[in-house]
Amino acid sequence: MDVSVIDGLLGGLQTVLTPQILLYCFFGVFLGTLVGVLPGIGSLATISLLLPITYHLPPVGAIIMLAGVYYGAQYGGSTASILLNLPGHAAAVIACLDGNPMAKQGKAGIALFMTTIASFVGSMIGLVALIMFSPAIAQLGLKFGAAEYFSMMLLGLIAASTLASGSPAKGLAMVAVGLLLGTIGTDVDSGTIRFSFGVLELSDGLSLVALAMGLFGLPEIINSLSNAQDTKVQGKVTLRSMIPSRQEVKQSAMPMLRGSGVGGFFGALPGTGPAISSFMAYAVEKKIAKDPSRFGKGAIEGVTAPESANNAAAQTGFVPTLSLGIPGDAIMALMLGALIIHGIQPGPMLITDQPALFWGLIASFIVGNIMLVILNIPLIGLWVSILKIPYRLLYPAILIFICLGTYSVTNAVFNIYVVAIVGALGYLMLVLRFDAAPLLLGFVLGPLMEENLRRALRLSRGDPMTFIERPISASFVAVATAILLWSLFSAFRKFLHARAAEKEKVA
Amino acid sequence: MRDKDIGDIIGGLLLVALGIFTVIYAQNYSMGRLQMMGPGFFPRALGYILIVLGIVIALPAFLRKGPAVKVNYKGAFWVILGLLTFAFTLDHLGLILSTVLAVVIASFASTLGWLAKLYLGASVAAITYAIFILGLSMNMPVWPTLLTL
Repeated sequence: MDVSVIDGLLGGLQTVLTPQILLYCFFGVFLGTLVGVLPGIGSLATISLLLPITYHLPPVGAIIMLAGVYYGAQYGGSTASILLNLPGHAAAVIACLDGNPMAKQGKAGIALFMTTIASFVGSMIGLVALIMFSPAIAQLGLKFGAAEYFSMMLLGLIAASTLASGSPAKGLAMVAVGLLLGTIGTDVDSGTIRFSFGVLELSDGLSLVALAMGLFGLPEIINSLSNAQDTKVQGKVTLRSMIPSRQEVKQSAMPMLRGSGVGGFFGALPGTGPAISSFMAYAVEKKIAKDPSRFGKGAIEGVTAPESANNAAAQTGFVPTLSLGIPGDAIMALMLGALIIHGIQPGPMLITDQPALFWGLIASFIVGNIMLVILNIPLIGLWVSILKIPYRLLYPAILIFICLGTYSVTNAVFNIYVVAIVGALGYLMLVLRFDAAPLLLGFVLGPLMEENLRRALRLSRGDPMTFIERPISASFVAVATAILLWSLFSAFRKFLHARAAEKEKVA
Repeated sequence: MRDKDIGDIIGGLLLVALGIFTVIYAQNYSMGRLQMMGPGFFPRALGYILIVLGIVIALPAFLRKGPAVKVNYKGAFWVILGLLTFAFTLDHLGLILSTVLAVVIASFASTLGWLAKLYLGASVAAITYAIFILGLSMNMPVWPTLLTL
């Protein structure tokens, strides 16, 4: 690390280490964990639910609080997975595999404690990667023109929609719907108001908060109603029961480091966020284990490695978001939206022109993670007792919070109606098994993408070859095409296999 | 299991419908040329993409088996009705009464007795009042605005 990094970091810490900012950070982590622990509420829903609260804070306070919410939500999700076997989000599915068996063996406390440690280790390693790579990538980003930006977003959207979800065609369709929803409102170029259907409130575009609550909050509530089983919390969790044995710590050290590496790498790539990273880390541990049969029955490596990966990826996911202004997944899209609302436009200029802000963000990530450890070890008992509240008492309250959070954005009930309509559509999507995350990513990137498409073609005098004549843009387009062709090929092969299997059954 | 993948068929056809609607509706906006794109270009391109993807999703689904589509109509109905009630009444009845009303309606989705529904409504109203009015000092009507009519 050179001197400028240390200088920057110290400067950032100075901005962050004031009582007021620390208080925001504390509330962020606390609320994020509180909501994240609730069964059926994933990190996307948690962040959208708490986003409006930050609107009333000064920018630095708002961002540090949001970062805290994000970490808290991730952490809370794993807690629910371990204790109830009810994953709130995709990344937490892995935490169920060995975490819940551990809880059933009476080792819930140890599982929760090691999860906290693993997420801290993962975050810190991810942060180091973020600090090392962001400035370099931003330097590269400074050379990008409109054509490069468009191609890069195209690649990001294609990667995110085809790699992360089950069906590439469905993922791509959801991205397209998101891009389309992004065009609602006033077109910056011509001043034309598009798709407002005469509704005055829509001329400013759809509200990000209303859309996110409708897509993730409401459908998850309705869905959890159907799976409303009596929640049985496994085991008692006391401070004493949380202390791991020396052997358990030793067993976890290397998996945590490996997990962080896996997560740090995949988190920075477009389209492969925390969820895929934790799957990968689990697979790696299972592969290199001396006795793979322990996995799924409460192997501690099966809890710690994915948890480190998940958190390292959550950090390195900020690399493209902060250095290029291009989010890699739906959560990063929400964070980007929040930054823009507070007047911070992430991109290559952020690091070069406003180093204080960039380093403030980094410092707030560090403080947020430390806060998470300090807060959660004594509070695990509280989270466990929240899990004991029956769902039928919880969901009406969550519903009212959704309403008030949406209302607070513009102080008008209009956006609550938007939540209701989007929520009905979102539930339809959930029922038909269409993933809503690519839609949100498309929505946030839509206006940026259209703007850069228009600018690139204006500069090239209408020649679309500009996207493949410029070398950097051409390589993005090439990778995007390769991913599309590959997913087309594998979908076709899967289809033929399924048909063949069916015919065999009949014969 | 059903003999067709109903979910993908419905979803794909809905996407085709959305695509056709977009292509037609975007004719209200000028297309422009590639060099000077008008506001209609991007939406119309997306419309065509949606039509193609919708067909790609729906067609193979006719030829393969798929899981049954399960909908919790009762839950969806009461939860969304509760939300709409809150939006509709907030400006007239104020935070407290709207919250009680919305909570009671939303909890028809579960098995809660009448008295329990009211208790729940009252406690949620108290909590929201404490957090949003006392804590965050949000600006909104708390009680019915009959007097100011």
